[in-house]
Amino acid sequence: MKITAPLAVAAAAVMALTACGSGDDASAGGSGNLKVSFWPDNPSFSCIDPFQVYWIEHRSIIRNFADSLTDQDPETGKIVPWLAQSWEISEDGKTYTFKLRDGVTFSNGKKLDAQAVADNAAGWIATVKATNGAAFGASYVQGLTGAKAVDPLTVQFQLSKPNSSFLQATSTTNLAITDPAEFQLSPADRCAGKGVVGSGLFVLDHYTPKVETVLTKRAGYAWGSELVQNKGEAKLDQVTFNYVAEDSVRTGNLISGATDIAWPRNPFTPQDTALIAKSGDKVEKRALPGVAYTLFANTAPGKPLADPAVRQALIKAIDLKTYASTIFGPDYPVVQGAFNSTTPYFKPESAKLAYDLPGAQKLLDEAGWTVGGNGFRAKAGTELKLEYPITQYSAGAELLQAQLKQAGINLELRTLTTAQQATYTTEGAYDLANTYFTRADPGALQFILNPDVANSKALAQRSASAAGVKQIQTLFAKALETTDEKQTGQAYADLQDYLIDEGVTIPLFERVQNAGVSDKVQGFAFTSESFLRLNDVTKG
Amino acid sequence: MTATIAEPVDVDVAPPLVRPGSRWIPLVRRPLFLIAAFYVVFVLASAFWPKLFTSYGPIDTDPGSVALAPSLDHLFGTDIYGRDLWTRVLYGSPLTIKATLIALGIAVVAGLALGIVSGFFGSITDSILMRFVDVLLAIPGLLLALSIVTALGYGTIPVAVAVGVGIVPGFARTTRAEVLRVKTLPYVEAARAGGASWTRVLLRHILPNSWGPVAVLAVLDAGVAIIAIASLSFLGFGAAPPAAEWGTLIADGRNYLVTSWWLSLLPGLFVALLVLSLNHISKTLQELTR
Amino acid sequence: MARYVLGRIGQAVLVLWAAYTLTFAILYLLPSDPMELQLAAAGVQPDSLSAEQVAAIKHQFGLDQPIWLQYWHHLAGLLRGDFGTSLTQQVPVSQLLADRIGPTLLLSVSAATVALVLGSALAYLATFTRLTFLTRLPALGASFPQFFVALFLIQFFSFQLGWFPATGGLVMPVITIAVLASSVLAQVLIRSFEETLSQPYVTTARAKGLSRSAVHLRHAFRNAALPAMTILGVIVGLTVTSSIVVETVFTREGIGKLAQEAVLSQDVPVVLAVVTVAAAVFVLVNLVVDLLYPLLDPRISHTRPAAASVASVEGVAL
Repeated sequence: MKITAPLAVAAAAVMALTACGSGDDASAGGSGNLKVSFWPDNPSFSCIDPFQVYWIEHRSIIRNFADSLTDQDPETGKIVPWLAQSWEISEDGKTYTFKLRDGVTFSNGKKLDAQAVADNAAGWIATVKATNGAAFGASYVQGLTGAKAVDPLTVQFQLSKPNSSFLQATSTTNLAITDPAEFQLSPADRCAGKGVVGSGLFVLDHYTPKVETVLTKRAGYAWGSELVQNKGEAKLDQVTFNYVAEDSVRTGNLISGATDIAWPRNPFTPQDTALIAKSGDKVEKRALPGVAYTLFANTAPGKPLADPAVRQALIKAIDLKTYASTIFGPDYPVVQGAFNSTTPYFKPESAKLAYDLPGAQKLLDEAGWTVGGNGFRAKAGTELKLEYPITQYSAGAELLQAQLKQAGINLELRTLTTAQQATYTTEGAYDLANTYFTRADPGALQFILNPDVANSKALAQRSASAAGVKQIQTLFAKALETTDEKQTGQAYADLQDYLIDEGVTIPLFERVQNAGVSDKVQGFAFTSESFLRLNDVTKG
Repeated sequence: MTATIAEPVDVDVAPPLVRPGSRWIPLVRRPLFLIAAFYVVFVLASAFWPKLFTSYGPIDTDPGSVALAPSLDHLFGTDIYGRDLWTRVLYGSPLTIKATLIALGIAVVAGLALGIVSGFFGSITDSILMRFVDVLLAIPGLLLALSIVTALGYGTIPVAVAVGVGIVPGFARTTRAEVLRVKTLPYVEAARAGGASWTRVLLRHILPNSWGPVAVLAVLDAGVAIIAIASLSFLGFGAAPPAAEWGTLIADGRNYLVTSWWLSLLPGLFVALLVLSLNHISKTLQELTR
Repeated sequence: MARYVLGRIGQAVLVLWAAYTLTFAILYLLPSDPMELQLAAAGVQPDSLSAEQVAAIKHQFGLDQPIWLQYWHHLAGLLRGDFGTSLTQQVPVSQLLADRIGPTLLLSVSAATVALVLGSALAYLATFTRLTFLTRLPALGASFPQFFVALFLIQFFSFQLGWFPATGGLVMPVITIAVLASSVLAQVLIRSFEETLSQPYVTTARAKGLSRSAVHLRHAFRNAALPAMTILGVIVGLTVTSSIVVETVFTREGIGKLAQEAVLSQDVPVVLAVVTVAAAVFVLVNLVVDLLYPLLDPRISHTRPAAASVASVEGVAL
């Protein structure tokens, strides 16, 4: 950076003028104070209320101030005791009975007993109603009709039909147990953090949307799950989460010591990873469980992707390996199916996703799409043009575009305003769309593909033919409406085959949660949902 | 984003009427002016015929040569997809130039209309129109532009329109001041007294005489527009990828500041040099007309 | 005099009202539906709701009223000091403004101060030394996009030298804005200086035997600084506008960043409030300048249209 030297001298002189009097301090807080930097807060739905939050960064925060009935082992996917010491599921799969741990209190001193849990269940159901089903937690309480306290430490949940995802749901941040008094407040007030009181090892001190969230240590905490070493009080006094827009600034802050953990949404670039390694800090990574970064086709009649052959050609034309290594670095995992590899019941489909350009070209030729003068294919005078909307979440769209061009497919990237995004999918002008859902359970995909419960009915309905949608619904029902683990496993395996065979999902990359962790921080851990777990974290 | 002082509003300084040929001669004796003009011409030429200056394609990815530092093969290095950055800057020129011309077009037409009507009719019309200009000035320009872009959608043309609206006030006021000045010149008064219609006075005397300062302002505002367009692209409102305006290129490179500084800094310098050249040209022209 | 002052205040209020109305019109003509935006933000698509649910939500936010009625409610609220409720954050807009105006105020005032000092110093030096390089320097400062300056400062002073934090600090944001603002100011001052120095009374003063530096300081500076005062409003407006990009890059939680976020999520009440506040500041500063100007410079009669004093500064673009 030689060119910058003379300018630096000039700027330094300017700085001498302004430096006095401003309290700039380039270092992070003391040893008891951990600083975590996220990417920007949710631009349109600022929320810190466990049940309503879908923003994964905030679910990381919630994990550390609110406990759940159960916990999930990141290694095995097994559900283990936490606030509940044991549980029983009835034969018909409709009644879940939890025996609670004794002596747990919320941070405001109130008891966390069976009645409090039952009131939570009532609160969740009421919230679903109050938000017209918008609250994210709605997808975790499918079929839940209520709960009752059998005795002070026994609580019974009642479902209208079996839901094999429910036990896992009780381990998530969305069903974290909070002081039920919060449900007296409006969903909007709770989103701002009002009345949100958990039993976790930290206390939510305040949440200022888009600015920061601060947690302080909970004195007397003594009920960490069996998955953590330190079951008692946190080893940090305070944790400050802030939001940094620029990726390079977040990484730079980690390296210069201004922050302790840099937590990006999309994985670090290979350049940043190398830089962090060089500075002695560490990049922790774990694939987020749930739906991979995959594209969903618009198979409505008349659209080019209505033809299954074109969808298969698309899958063959994408070089997933080069994609992963170019965008995220040479040792980045290659996506293997509709789900990320850390999802329970995951089945790799790598062979079907292999890069095969001649195969793609052959399929397209056979389907009647012939290469024209400009290198793109056309059929009956219509160019093979696919419209693909991109947002700030998209990574590497231009590489995808270049890869598809090799096969003669014209991928048109559309940048949308927030306003357009709201109605874009519903209007159906897209050919490929992307959405994902983080949850350590394959049932997550239901909320994208099953029109009955999907967040966007339009996307679900267009993702496959009517028969295809039916088949997907059948497989989900088979997997969910049972207590037979074997049946669930088989149904999910069939589903994963079906999704790729039919080109319903067109996977692009494995979503890996990266965290740049300062060399001063010890005891870093991911939860089963690849969220941040601070029980064992110390700062030296 | 930026502000520039449009200096040509010289209400009291009447430009000497020079013979056409002679005023351009001093320009040749100014090396800085020549360099600036040469650079602007080069950018224009490269926008129309980029193939003359590069052998790469603007969207040819090459995973084998990703994020290479500048070298003789790649003057500006390569980006994270292995595309030649110099080529991308050149192919980005037409987009930015188009946006700049649209913005200037809007500003000049609207500004001239407002300014002439205002200066010509005076009194109430003048007051109302100038208050309107005050209103445009009072809304923070970037906010106004952001709102307009959100309304029109993303892309080169919405950005150009937003920027164009933002620079209307300058043109309106400059034109008005010119009209006011020319109106009181003895020969215009004489023409009026001689029975010439206002339309004739407007077309024959006022417009031609107001044109100089407006043209100087246009050159200066071209620089302002380029920066404004770049800023809006930087905030993510520009053309759809893989096409890239200069601002988008700078913005795309900002995530690699620490590791691959050239991705942001070289396109940034390219733009800054152009704006600087335009400023210099405008200043020189203005000095000559004084 | 009283009539002039009252008229000028009336004009300012009128301009403010028009700015508010214009912004409202633009935002409400946007091809989007605030309700859909809200639902989308919360993760639901409107197509999963029944018609009754849609109607209920629209009613809740007053979106079922005709536009002119909504405008009237907004305006009436504004006069009571009520900016409405943020669509996306569900808190009163006035609270958002109160929370976020501090950092921007600090940034604006610091940047304007630094710009005044730097700009005047540069103009003085440039005209006194008559170095072409110095006269051209302001043009250089105005040629770099602000986001570029900001990124450069971060890269160099935060990451390479580690002198200042990339986020949360005040020094680098102030410098970023001051680079541009002082360039603008210096350009005006230099021109003003040059004109003053060519005035007959300066020549007279020199002929009387006063030294060049004395003339420069005593006569020229005072007389040149006066016209420059008229662009104070521009400089202040500039620092406010700059805060949009600068706060975004430096992650400062001020009004500028609030505005940018609000425009992106079409949070209409917030955008309206920010525009109104920013326009009010701009109008107020100009008003004060216009009212003070005749007092400071007796050569200008206060019967002259106010616009004339600002007329030497034009084309304040984005």
